[in-house]
Amino acid sequence: MATDSCAIKSKRRFPPCRGACPAGVNVQGYIALLQQGRFNEAVELIRKSMPFPAICGRVCFSPCQDACSRKNVDQPVGIRYLKKLAADIEREQGRIKPDPIPKTRKEKVAIVGAGPAGLSVAYELAKLGYPVTVFESMPRPGGMMQYGIPEFRLQKYVVANEIAYIQDLGVEIKTGVKFGKDIQLDTLQSSGYKAVFIANGASLNRKLNVPGEDLEGVLPAVAFLRHVSLKERVDVGEKVAVIGGGNSAVDAARTSLRLGAKEVTILYRRSRKEMPALPHEIEAAEREGIKFYFLVSPKQIIGEGGRIKAIECLRMKLGEPDESGRRRPMPIPGTEHTYEADTVIPAIGQIPETSGLPSVLLDERARAILVDPSTLETRIPGVFAGGDIVTGPASIVEAIGAGKRAATSIDRYLNGKDLRSEREEEIEETTWVKDWEMIAKKPERYTTPSIDIGRQRVSFEEADELLVKIKERAMSEAQRCLECGPCSECLEGEGLCEGDKAVVDETLCTGCNVCAVVCPSGAMKKNEVGIAQVDEELCKGCGICSASCPERAVTMRRITNDQIMTRVLSVLGGGIG
Amino acid sequence: MMFRPRIICFICNWSLPAGVDVASPTTIHAYPKIHVVQVMCVGRVDPAVVLGTFAKGADGVLVIGCHPPDCHYIYGNLQAERKVKMLKKLLSLTGLEQERLRLDWAYAYEIERFPKIIDDFRNLVIALGPSPLAEEKADSNILLNIKAAKAAAEDFRLRVLVGRERELTEKENMFGEKISQKEFDVLLHEVVEAEFIRHKIHLLTKEKPMSVKEIAAIVNMKPALVLRHIVNMRRKGMIALDHVDRTTLLYKALEVQ
Repeated sequence: MATDSCAIKSKRRFPPCRGACPAGVNVQGYIALLQQGRFNEAVELIRKSMPFPAICGRVCFSPCQDACSRKNVDQPVGIRYLKKLAADIEREQGRIKPDPIPKTRKEKVAIVGAGPAGLSVAYELAKLGYPVTVFESMPRPGGMMQYGIPEFRLQKYVVANEIAYIQDLGVEIKTGVKFGKDIQLDTLQSSGYKAVFIANGASLNRKLNVPGEDLEGVLPAVAFLRHVSLKERVDVGEKVAVIGGGNSAVDAARTSLRLGAKEVTILYRRSRKEMPALPHEIEAAEREGIKFYFLVSPKQIIGEGGRIKAIECLRMKLGEPDESGRRRPMPIPGTEHTYEADTVIPAIGQIPETSGLPSVLLDERARAILVDPSTLETRIPGVFAGGDIVTGPASIVEAIGAGKRAATSIDRYLNGKDLRSEREEEIEETTWVKDWEMIAKKPERYTTPSIDIGRQRVSFEEADELLVKIKERAMSEAQRCLECGPCSECLEGEGLCEGDKAVVDETLCTGCNVCAVVCPSGAMKKNEVGIAQVDEELCKGCGICSASCPERAVTMRRITNDQIMTRVLSVLGGGIG
Repeated sequence: MMFRPRIICFICNWSLPAGVDVASPTTIHAYPKIHVVQVMCVGRVDPAVVLGTFAKGADGVLVIGCHPPDCHYIYGNLQAERKVKMLKKLLSLTGLEQERLRLDWAYAYEIERFPKIIDDFRNLVIALGPSPLAEEKADSNILLNIKAAKAAAEDFRLRVLVGRERELTEKENMFGEKISQKEFDVLLHEVVEAEFIRHKIHLLTKEKPMSVKEIAAIVNMKPALVLRHIVNMRRKGMIALDHVDRTTLLYKALEVQ
């Protein structure tokens, strides 16, 4: 089956899932591949957009799922789980090591910080043939994926596997090299790097700014999670209070529980509804027995003998919505009370580490690197920046998106092209679904398998059987996709369909509208004189219109009824006996 | 020699097991007497194509699509279900066993179920024996009936009814009326019978001009009923008076535009 003759080549309209993804992953495409059980090809399709299918399948905040059209019928398709599953199956079956990409370019590129943004740039530029070197200050690459997200949410071997893929392509990663100390911006430039991308992230903890913050027993979340990731001994005592409502707070709380804390409470100054952490993570924390104390803010941390004893808290009430759209917490005077704790983990956000950077790169308050938002170029030509160092703490998938944008800029810069022109492609999110009531409900949701494939203690035979069952469930979940995006979204040269299009013979059409009724993608519409017209961008080439047209005015461009009949005759005629 | 049926299997692009090893003995490819014709969606299978397949002597037609409510094209499989329902009604008028046509659902991952579906159907077709239209010894009466059914399936009325069934039975029309499924089935049955007989009359009178009485004898109906159909057909321009032989009116088919 060829796809080369598909009428639509340029794609401006995206389905909502792809439109919502900062990394622009072709969700409809890999779901369509999963429908056919082509797991490895699905992973390859994801890798065309970004190098971290297994990581994003675990910890992405999945804006795709929030945008999924299926939510209008029952529940969105479990996109994240499907992605995790496809990547897991590939890994468990043994990832085939890709061949290194030949370095066809001479210009060396240096990347500072091996987090998701830096590694995405490295990945995209390596694919273009550039020699890329990534400098990382920590002993292992991965940034927050390695040192921020705890093992129970994102296993280290998953991170290692995906980074190994990037290294297999020929990207060089140098760990233990601290920017601003071991290397400087000017030394990088003078040692032959034609472009530099800075993505050293936001790894400093935001301070509570209350008295007693320096007492023993106060462990800022980022440092706490990093220590645990480095397998350093951390004693949290029996009673742990985590301050904050984001993912780091929930991660720190769940980690404390695993370190042996008896009672872990999350103190948050707003209410549950305003918590920025992922809903399913909050639910998991609740299931594990973590307590929540809402509408409370620390006033000071009370110590005894240099070690913390309790937190003095103040109750809050919610006022008017602030610029983030959430209701602003306001202290209620006179509600001071103490809350006893052995350990306090402030997790109220991270700030970029800008100390080692030349001041010309920074914004006026020296809190982040100032860049052009569309090209990610800094004030110094040839120096680009992206990820948390620019935006403040954000998500992996947003960092990947920034990495992709920066890679395009760097490629253009090194080719002497204009960085700006034709940059922002106008993307229109589109769904063709014309009548939600016509779609049958199928609310069954695929949830993550409670066991990690291949890692449980079972015989090989049972593991195989399990894999088959999981594959079946995944394919069944993938079937829930409405394929609501424009046609040619799913094929991408994967040979999924024939790339056919309907054609109307206007002399035969009587305008009876049957084609519009039967068309599943709303591609058939009558024009002002009542003749059916095909919207080729929406037509998916199923041919149901052609099989239903009362006047037989609608035919298909490639596979007509006569051709189906010819196929029938050829198989009936051949091989009889 | 054992009877080896010739079965055409129309299968949807999305329910054919992907990545199935063609040489594997458990797959449908190991059944040499199943001839697979892949289509984008089973809703794509034109009723006229199915009847054409029978006219060419196929012993059975198996249509396999995705399990409802899953369909790559939302309700393409349900479209196929309606088409097959109409086709079975048509086939029951032709003298060819309607069991020779079967619609079944399968998911792409049900690799083990595929051979079962095919075996079941194949055994049924073997029990029915060779098609009366199988080459050389084709039954001319049944062949005529199948051709009439094919013409009916190509014509406007049945296709509109099948195409609009869901709209008519599940949603209200512009006058706020809704037809119940029962009423619709009665209507469809009437239209299938009428369309079949009209196209049969059309085919008969194509050969030579015929009188109402002659036609009535062939189609085994009361002459008054045949005349009513002829009146209808004249109105639609399907048939015209050819000549009058003494007091007998002889009709001849017109080429339908």
